[in-house]
Amino acid sequence: MAPRRDAARVLLRIAFRNLLASPVRTGILGAIVLVGALIVVVGSSVLDSIDRGMRTSIQGSLGGHLQVYEARSEGALELYGGLRGESLLEPIEDFSKVKAVLEQVPNVKQVVPMGIDQAMVATGNAFDLALERLRGDVRRLEAGEDGPELRRDYAAHAAHVRRMVQLLRDEIAQAREISDPEGREAAERKSEWEALQRAATDAFWRDLDRDRYGSLEFLENRVAPLAMDTAFTFLRYVGTDVDAFFRAFPLAEVVKGERIPTGQRGVLVGKQYAEEWLKLKNARRLDQIKDARDRRGKRIADDEELQRWVRENRAGIREILLQLDPIRADALAQELRPALGAPAAEPLEALLGRLFAATDESFDGQYRIFYDVVAPKLRLYQIDVGDTITIKAPSKSGYFSSVNVKVYGFLQFKGIERSGIAGMMSVLDLMSFRDLYGYLTAEKAAEIRALQKSMGAREIDRERAEAELFGAADGALVGEARVAEIDEGALVKRREEERASAADLAAHVYSQEELEHGVALNAALILDDPRLLRRTEGDVRKAIADAGLGLKVVDWQEAAGLVGQFVTLLRVVLFTAVVIFFAIALVIINNAMVMATLQRVKEIGTMRAIGTQRRFVVTMLLVEIATVGLVFGLAGAALGAGVVWGIRVAGGIPAVTDLLYFVFSGPALFPRLGALAVGGSLAVVLLVAILSALYPALIAMRVTPVEAMATED
Amino acid sequence: MSIVSVEHVSKDYMLGKTVVPALRDVSLAVGKGEFLSIAGPSGSGKTTLLNLVGCVDTPTAGRVIVAGQDTARLSERALTELRLRTIGFIFQSFNLVSVLSVFQNVEFPLLLQGGQTRKERAERVLALLDAVGIAEHARHRPSELSGGQRQRVAIARALVTRPALVLADEPTANLDSETGGNIIDLMKEMNRRDGTTFIFSTHDPKVMAHASALVRIEDGRIASREDLDAARLAGGR
Ligand SMILES: Nc1ncnc2c1ncn2[C@@H]1O[C@H](COP(=O)(O)OP(=O)(O)OP(=O)(O)O)[C@@H](O)[C@H]1O
Ligand SMILES: [Mg+2]
Repeated sequence: MAPRRDAARVLLRIAFRNLLASPVRTGILGAIVLVGALIVVVGSSVLDSIDRGMRTSIQGSLGGHLQVYEARSEGALELYGGLRGESLLEPIEDFSKVKAVLEQVPNVKQVVPMGIDQAMVATGNAFDLALERLRGDVRRLEAGEDGPELRRDYAAHAAHVRRMVQLLRDEIAQAREISDPEGREAAERKSEWEALQRAATDAFWRDLDRDRYGSLEFLENRVAPLAMDTAFTFLRYVGTDVDAFFRAFPLAEVVKGERIPTGQRGVLVGKQYAEEWLKLKNARRLDQIKDARDRRGKRIADDEELQRWVRENRAGIREILLQLDPIRADALAQELRPALGAPAAEPLEALLGRLFAATDESFDGQYRIFYDVVAPKLRLYQIDVGDTITIKAPSKSGYFSSVNVKVYGFLQFKGIERSGIAGMMSVLDLMSFRDLYGYLTAEKAAEIRALQKSMGAREIDRERAEAELFGAADGALVGEARVAEIDEGALVKRREEERASAADLAAHVYSQEELEHGVALNAALILDDPRLLRRTEGDVRKAIADAGLGLKVVDWQEAAGLVGQFVTLLRVVLFTAVVIFFAIALVIINNAMVMATLQRVKEIGTMRAIGTQRRFVVTMLLVEIATVGLVFGLAGAALGAGVVWGIRVAGGIPAVTDLLYFVFSGPALFPRLGALAVGGSLAVVLLVAILSALYPALIAMRVTPVEAMATED
Repeated sequence: MSIVSVEHVSKDYMLGKTVVPALRDVSLAVGKGEFLSIAGPSGSGKTTLLNLVGCVDTPTAGRVIVAGQDTARLSERALTELRLRTIGFIFQSFNLVSVLSVFQNVEFPLLLQGGQTRKERAERVLALLDAVGIAEHARHRPSELSGGQRQRVAIARALVTRPALVLADEPTANLDSETGGNIIDLMKEMNRRDGTTFIFSTHDPKVMAHASALVRIEDGRIASREDLDAARLAGGR
């Protein structure tokens, strides 16, 4: 042992001193190693954190730990949507069977039924809103109420509707100029135009009081649909057992309103969806400007996008004015003048112009004024909590099916509130989902036929009850008779009627059995111990095979589709970058070491001649490079740790896009230094260093003692 | 009893496709304690012969026996061991390890051998540095020394393991004649004191004059061998 130790000592000594003897070479090799270690440490720390973030986001929002779906499905399950829209899944006909089997698998805590799809939603519009108010006044008047206040409201609301009819007529007049008068739908267009012309006449409004219901129905059935045409939007939803959903996904929370009551129909609209698609455009833009200023450090003065938003907000004032009847408009103007420090006579339009003409200095104040003074007088969201909305979708059977559901609240996922990926998702009750999906098993079809019979009977009862509710049963019936005339050929069912059946369905409480005994498209499995995911995945597969359920099992990452592949993609990118970097490093280190070895041939020959064994020489060279690897690798890892720490202190890596928000599981990524990252980086740089020294070591080994004799100079 | 025995050794070098015969059927026996000089014109084969004797090269034909061992039968490792324990080298261009100090250069073969305490090594190294007269430079790097000083270090290194045989290929060729003379004196003294066998090549007649025996080599063949001590004795004084 002793001789070895002595030899080892002198070997280390020579190796170190050789390093010190050529500081430039050592410095260059060291820098390469250091940067390599730094990249690996920072890269893998960031990646691991992204991985963690994504795990949180996916598992906590929709994915759970495992997902199952019908094995015969054409497409793969993509929870957050794919490039070609929604996944093409065959239905699981009876979810209860799946649940019964899978719940028995060890480590499976919960099985949550799901059906993800998109549907059209009528958003309603300012016209509807104005009509709604007018209708309220008309009902009260027809019920015999009266008084100066009601009269004033009535006049104001009528004026509001009239103003909107005029605007609508102007708009359609423009459209008529460019449309083909001989077209296929020319007759229909012509009749629409006539209705609009009529509603815009002085005579129509003069006669309003003579036949309030009749005029109202005319406006609702003949005029309102013209304003309705563009007013729908697409809603992405997951139909699910709502209680189970909230138990399974801890990130899900209701931000406004309440949860859908157990067993009832209803929808929770995605908060982010509401913000982006349903919110008053001006309010949305104010939010965006605020966000850009506060979170991204942008300034209106030098950012084109912000300037555009400010411009659009000034142009968007009309949309706000449209929402206000004369009384509200007046009240708003009165409040705005002192708030904005405007002259006493300044009209509302000018006041709003002042409010939205934002600069960096005035913005925060104006933002506050908008939300404190203006917003309470407006309908901020086209669909809001408490509304009942109509959702339409093409069903499996080929027809459009539609359901009316109450909006119980806005839904968001904690931590990833701002991400559109999960935030666009709304939650719909399972029964409504099934109605929209429209897939009927033979057994179910029969059941529903029976149900429809009894429902039809009840609906008629409803109508009567409603007429009574309005008080003037006779008047209402007369009104209805009249409506029947006007209504001829109209495709839409009468609104009141729709509301009635919706109210009926909405009140119905379905049993857990009804919920589970039916179609679902996929099911999320929640595990007791997520660490055992792989084993449980195997167990689930086996249980499915044993029970002959014919389901496919995927893990949460796969189920997330494109989004889930994001981290894999990043990994590939980082890995490729690291491989390229180290390939280059390998070549450089190899070259440098070959040169160093060739320079030392005589010295090595001398050592060999005076009795140094080959392995000693080889070891010496490897120790030399390994020292570089270790010392600079450690320095690089330390520097990497510093960078990671620095990123954390500086507030993390900001999530500048939706996708990043989701994968970071929050507004910023706070990378965490992993022991594995540090150890891994050291291992990698050491490996690369030693690999790149193998060829030089071979050269050194081949140096013969004779070469000591070479007399150069 | 000879420490080196070269028996019918030939050595051919290949220069491209032509065979260059460097040694042709050389036989030579060197006895213990000899201070043998090999002389000959340039290209005559002196270095080649020394390399074969020093086990850093192998003959094309014939046998080289060093300290009783047939070098052809030894493995690479065993040959290295033989060089480490039995042979000391003094090179024409000194060949010190540049990153080690004078002391460490001399200590190097001892460390390779192992088996001694630090104190034993230090005593041995310092004694030798003292003997070659550069004890005060123990901590210096070779680059800080003159040619003569470096060769002294090389001699100390060659002798530190008390080898039976020291080989030196033109040890004074890179030195001025006065320094060269000193170096030969030093080697001679070591030879006398410890009975170490020296074989060295040289062109310098003054150096040859110190030898106990002179082998002349010409065109790869031994031309003559004279025992100078005997001659000197015979010449009478
Ligand atoms: N590696 C080699 N390859 C080819 N030929 C060689 C090699 N080494 C030596 N020779 C040839 O062998 C012959 C003997 O060379 P050697 O170096 O032994 O002569 P030398 O007596 O030492 O000469 P010098 O006095 O110039 O050092 C010469 O002809 C030389 O050219
Ligand atoms: Mg020579």
